[in-house]
Amino acid sequence: MARLAIEGLCKGWDFPVIDDLSLTVEEGEFLVIVGPSGIGKTTLLRLVAGLETPDGGRILVGDRDVTRVPPYRRDVAMTFESYALYPHMTVARNIASPLKARGLPEDEIRRRVGEVTRLLRIDMLLERKPGEISGGQKQRTALGRTLVADPQVFLLDEPISHLDARIRHELRSQFHTLEDLRRVATVYVTHDYAEALSLGDRIAVMGNGGHLVQVGNPRNLFEQPATLFVAEHLGQPTINAIGAELVDVDDRLEVHAGSLRLPVSPAHRAALTKMQQRQVTIGLRPQHLRPADELPQGMELEGRIDIFEALGSTGVMIVDAGGVRLTALTRPERSFDHGEVVTLALNPAALYFFSPVDGRNLLL
Amino acid sequence: MVDQTRPEDRWRHVRVLFLAFLGLWLLFTLFPLYFMIITALKTTAETNLTVPTFWPEIMAFGNFAAVFAEATNFDALVDSFVIATINTLLSLFLGTLAGYAFARFPRQAGGENLAFWILSNRMFPPVAILVPMFFLFDSTPWGTDSIWSLVILYLVFNLPLATWLMMVFFRDAPRELEEAAYLDGWTPLRAFMRITLPLVLPGMISVAMLCWIFAWNEYLFANLFVGTDVRTYTIVIPTFTHGSQTLWNLQMAFSLIAMIPPVTLFILLRRYMVRGLSLGVVKG
Repeated sequence: MARLAIEGLCKGWDFPVIDDLSLTVEEGEFLVIVGPSGIGKTTLLRLVAGLETPDGGRILVGDRDVTRVPPYRRDVAMTFESYALYPHMTVARNIASPLKARGLPEDEIRRRVGEVTRLLRIDMLLERKPGEISGGQKQRTALGRTLVADPQVFLLDEPISHLDARIRHELRSQFHTLEDLRRVATVYVTHDYAEALSLGDRIAVMGNGGHLVQVGNPRNLFEQPATLFVAEHLGQPTINAIGAELVDVDDRLEVHAGSLRLPVSPAHRAALTKMQQRQVTIGLRPQHLRPADELPQGMELEGRIDIFEALGSTGVMIVDAGGVRLTALTRPERSFDHGEVVTLALNPAALYFFSPVDGRNLLL
Repeated sequence: MVDQTRPEDRWRHVRVLFLAFLGLWLLFTLFPLYFMIITALKTTAETNLTVPTFWPEIMAFGNFAAVFAEATNFDALVDSFVIATINTLLSLFLGTLAGYAFARFPRQAGGENLAFWILSNRMFPPVAILVPMFFLFDSTPWGTDSIWSLVILYLVFNLPLATWLMMVFFRDAPRELEEAAYLDGWTPLRAFMRITLPLVLPGMISVAMLCWIFAWNEYLFANLFVGTDVRTYTIVIPTFTHGSQTLWNLQMAFSLIAMIPPVTLFILLRRYMVRGLSLGVVKG
């Protein structure tokens, strides 16, 4: 058992994919890397696994520098997005593969395969081939193959993204309860923020250019995003991002966007007054913008409903408020029509202020 | 009602026409085989009739025995078999390794151009190198009249084919499976043997069939290269003559016997050949 340390890792082909990336995952920690598709998350995992050679930097498992160690001697296990099950072998033989590679005796292999498959509830499928089982069962088999290896580091690449919602939820809860995953350093890659918030002891948000934008615990990332990029990628529906201007009105500070006039809460004022720059991007999560009767103490504004979606557990409305398009949420039982004028309310303290230049959170 | 039946009727016509066409096509393709079989069963006199008969008057089963009355004729089948088999094993071994290199390490292996150049060796007419090859092989220690001359020479034709096809099969075998095997702790060689090779096995069997049949049936080079110590069955068949008279019945009888090994192989392995064509279906 050991911690995983990545130091100044670089990898690129025609352009840099991973650029001077450093990250530490403690023994027993479950770290989720979240970011949009094609941003280099999988490349990062492949570098840690040894399937790609880095252009620079070091990878340490415990005290051992494994940067130049081939994958078959690294003691790192990885599940692939495509599961990568051996199609010509049964489930049992697939899962036994890492044990066979170590030359364990047959009865020991059988015992450990039995344990893992009972844990993952696929013990009735041992003699099936991957072509004969469902997507969820394939994922469990792939997971079993990594669990049985008892490695120092677990790498999980989008393990449940391709399953349908119900099985995804079931497997997600399984990730919470698997002791083996909770004992060693685990890196879990996903583009689904809900998975990240649900599973991660810590979350690392990966952004363009192969950098980590922010690393921290889920609540911290959600409530205090370092940049607009982080705020946009954690949360559904996506946060409202509005180009606006800070304006001094008498002794108050306001933000103006289109014909919208929003007061800046006293708590934020000190940080914003110091700034030279008057142009900002304000962020407002849809759950903090609701019909006025659902948020009695709020600051009110008028909007015309453009699109209304009833999603069962919530209602999503896209409104035009003084020339600004905003997404707002409402209680599930309510219903609105296209063109209807509603009074919405928000709490000014829930506003975020980002730099329009680099997206930095101006309040941090 | 009328409107509903009409389209069905139209389709029925099309189907009947289609079946008729297939029937004609079948006649066209099977007739040579049929004529071969009946000729093999005719007496020599009957094969020489100006108006050919379409059913032998006397079934001359003795033709098959007559072919093997001469022991060297059977030896020719053995020589052909040995040459074709050794050549196939060599083509398969080298072609698999080369195909894997082209599929997985295209840059290190010389790139698409080299792979294409290897295939382009199949594009010239073989007869163009007939004479140069003869002199080339004649200057080797084993000379031309040996099984090794043909075993090596047929690599010129079979190795490019094997390399190219194996390259395609290896490309279809997902690289991630090998990578998963590395992470399980298997070295590249053992991952190749355990995972990749079983996946391309149906493809290898198809390639083996193609190579073997080419080497088994080759006539042009065999006719020039060998003939004294070594004789392939293909160069023996034309020697069945009596004076200026061609013994068609014996030639056809021997040809039928020579058809048995490839046809048997094909029937035994046809399941693998079909699977060889559907290799890409591994992901789910």
